[in-house]
Amino acid sequence: MPNARVLRDMKARHGARANEIARRAYLFVARNETLSPQVRHHAQLQLNTFGRYTRPATVKNRCYESGKGRGIISEFGLSRFQFRVKALRGELPGVNKASW
Amino acid sequence: MAAFVPPSRLQALTKLRCSIFQTSYNPDSLRTGAKYLRARLRGPSLVGYYPERINISQIIRQNRELEMVDDEEEERLQDVIERRRRGKGAPKKAKNKGESRRLTKRR
Repeated sequence: MPNARVLRDMKARHGARANEIARRAYLFVARNETLSPQVRHHAQLQLNTFGRYTRPATVKNRCYESGKGRGIISEFGLSRFQFRVKALRGELPGVNKASW
Repeated sequence: MAAFVPPSRLQALTKLRCSIFQTSYNPDSLRTGAKYLRARLRGPSLVGYYPERINISQIIRQNRELEMVDDEEEERLQDVIERRRRGKGAPKKAKNKGESRRLTKRR
């Protein structure tokens, strides 16, 4: 069972996907300098009404094994310790302990 | 020496070039917000970050006729009973504001 922070991150990911198209549409209007300032301002106000779990910036890549948020090796999606543990167990193809 | 070309001619040239190569004519370099429409949607890759996990309790709930047992959950419930017996269990939920210990001063 993933921990609470991972569950929260999953919620953010699903929310970001569900609201992505609407947010893009408002962003397009708000950042479009060829439109009138009133319309752009309204679009910006609408953007501000979106909740916390609808923005892609809320999403954070966490370790999928331990749920840690720091020290993630993004290529594997693992925290540095879980990466070491798995690599030593030989569960990561192509990863060897350096020795010379 | 290059001959003098009036700006209006240069503008017309740019306009023509845009119509030929099908690019948008934007002489004032205004921001059109097109990049928000052009960018790929990131939702699918965001949702697929964590690998799928099997929800054991859900499977058990859906297939009651198989009478499966979640060992870890049983162990946890056993621990809760054991802790309560030793008087170490979680306190009862407050029914109203007065019962709540959150606001009462503790010494």
